Amino acid sequence: MSERRESLKIIGSIGATCAFPFAADELYAQQEHTHTEGVAAKLPEPKYFKKDDFEMIAALAEMIIPRTPGAPGAPGALDAGVPAYIDFVVSRSKPQQKLFSDGVAWLRKNKFAKAPAEARLALIKPLCDAVDNGKVDTPSRKFFRAMKSLTSDGFWTSKAGMADTLGYRGASILGEYPECREH
Amino acid sequence: MAQSVKIYDVVIVGSGAAGGTLAAHLARKGVDVAVVEGGPKINTRTDFNTHAMPWEFANRQIPRMKPGKQGMASERARGLGGKTLTWNAVAWRQSHRDFKGKSIEGAGEDWPIDYPDLAPYYEKIEREVGVCGNYDNLPDLPDGVFLPPVPFKCSDRLIAKGAKKLGLKIIHVRKSTLSRNQFGRPACHFCGNCMAGCDVVAKYNSYDCHMLPALKTGKLELIPNAVVRHVVVNGENRATGVRYVHRETKQEGEVLGRTVVVSCACVQSVALLQMSNIANSSGQLGKHFIPHFTGGVEAFLDGLKGTPLKNDEGFLDHAYLPSFMHERKRDYARSFGAQFGYQNRRSIGWAREIKGMGADYKQAVKDRYPAFVVFSPYGEMLPNAHSYIDLDHNRKDEFGLPSARRHLAWGPNDKLIFNDMQKWAAEILRSAGAEILKIHDDPRPNHELGGARMGSDPRTSVVDAQCRAHDVPNLYVIDGSVFPSASEKNPTHTIMALAARAADDIARRLQRREI
Repeated sequence: MSERRESLKIIGSIGATCAFPFAADELYAQQEHTHTEGVAAKLPEPKYFKKDDFEMIAALAEMIIPRTPGAPGAPGALDAGVPAYIDFVVSRSKPQQKLFSDGVAWLRKNKFAKAPAEARLALIKPLCDAVDNGKVDTPSRKFFRAMKSLTSDGFWTSKAGMADTLGYRGASILGEYPECREH
Repeated sequence: MAQSVKIYDVVIVGSGAAGGTLAAHLARKGVDVAVVEGGPKINTRTDFNTHAMPWEFANRQIPRMKPGKQGMASERARGLGGKTLTWNAVAWRQSHRDFKGKSIEGAGEDWPIDYPDLAPYYEKIEREVGVCGNYDNLPDLPDGVFLPPVPFKCSDRLIAKGAKKLGLKIIHVRKSTLSRNQFGRPACHFCGNCMAGCDVVAKYNSYDCHMLPALKTGKLELIPNAVVRHVVVNGENRATGVRYVHRETKQEGEVLGRTVVVSCACVQSVALLQMSNIANSSGQLGKHFIPHFTGGVEAFLDGLKGTPLKNDEGFLDHAYLPSFMHERKRDYARSFGAQFGYQNRRSIGWAREIKGMGADYKQAVKDRYPAFVVFSPYGEMLPNAHSYIDLDHNRKDEFGLPSARRHLAWGPNDKLIFNDMQKWAAEILRSAGAEILKIHDDPRPNHELGGARMGSDPRTSVVDAQCRAHDVPNLYVIDGSVFPSASEKNPTHTIMALAARAADDIARRLQRREI
């Protein structure tokens, strides 16, 4: 519980002052036609992570929120530029850096990078199940929760996630309120 | 810096709901007024990031102000308009029960005024800036003069049905936001960014709706960027003006006046009086700090899961659950009300709480997105000895002034209300048909009130029934700090009515040369 609060706080404490325009739209446009297999070639240059580690992070993000067939709902974490968001957040947070260095070490130990898709799922799914059941007691589970939180935040606040997947059309000017007539 | 040599009739410190309302009312009566505001002038039409999207920013957080625009930076230097620039505009009249809690239930403190004293001033405010709402004929939530209410959202309708099964009535919210063009301002365009600065002034703010029109009288002068550090009181126990630090140059200056009004929003008003070492012969200054406490339940309404997304977040919350427990048997004093559905759909932090991963997780979030609702009850806190405001002399702010410090401890009655209101919130949502995501288990303070409470006895209160300091006859304190009891109702409309009422008192006394 306190862990989660902490990670929420970290997100919050990045603060409103350090924002600068981000090319999420451009990223999305660039990656629109990529495929998950081509992850490494299409990733932006990481600012915090080592290149190999960044590729693992990116692949894991895409496992958590994959591109799915058919529109809407098609874009995945890579399409949305989630790896760059994770790189950005972790670069600015010491507690996140600890979680991620533990996590990356665990991924390396378990040969995540070289594993085929089924083996990756067999490795990661138990972490997800444990976290869903409130068991966040080992470094790998803590890492997964941080990873899922950042992937979720990064994806759903991106244009690909919020506008294209969820259909958000707000912050627009309406002549009349769309009154509820169906309930 | 050249000092102002002019002596104003009234110097008002702070330009929010209280200061702005008071300034306009006095200027219209021909009184010479200066408003001294710590922050810069803010243009609500251009300066806020009102329509921005999270993906425009690397950290996905929308900064309040646009690049290069100043304002809202610190509690002592927000800007002309103060918190009304970013408030949600909920506007209730308080009722007899709110003013006379001690007489009715033996809990809290009575106000020295009652509803009939304030009713004409509520009406004045409603007629001059506009409040939309429905005529509900509820004794505990008196009707006013309303523009048409804004229609319910689908989530409101579902919640209203759930509440009805429990014998509870949901009403239209009342807000100082225009539901039709009026007063030379346009109606709300439902963009859903009320608390990110309204860029057309459909929502009330004290700069555009009170001070700006009053500038035409030639009687009002606005002095921004002046962080007041001291209210000067002379040897004859009369306030003579205020000393300030310039927000940017840090140079000192002074504004002189025949009357001084402190309207810096609850905690900062108390802090300014404490820094000036005045208005505390009662020993009550800073005590009885009684912010509202809020809880909250996050849920997904079954009836909206998987339905097509509606662009219905505009105007934020449209409905309200008025207090009902004051009429029922309960094991605590006072009561609570509830706001709900004021979340903006760009706040989507809840998605990380949804279980699973992969395509199923993605679909689960997508299905729940149109159905997400936050239900937030607000309860009335009773004063206790551990909840007060003081100065932290070891922590100076950027202006070299001691920071204001809040001490807050929830009492036994507060906890009983909190538990009950959370229980009701979950029950109403379940009755409406909902998957509950999270029930927040800690009370959080909101709507800061108390600290310079109003009363007729100078030994137990800081200001009198007109908001005039018992200790200094030409000093007024007008804002949430003077509330002797908090009610559960959002306080700003009452603060504005108190300011309009004090304007009459100040003008009358100036005319009689009493102050």
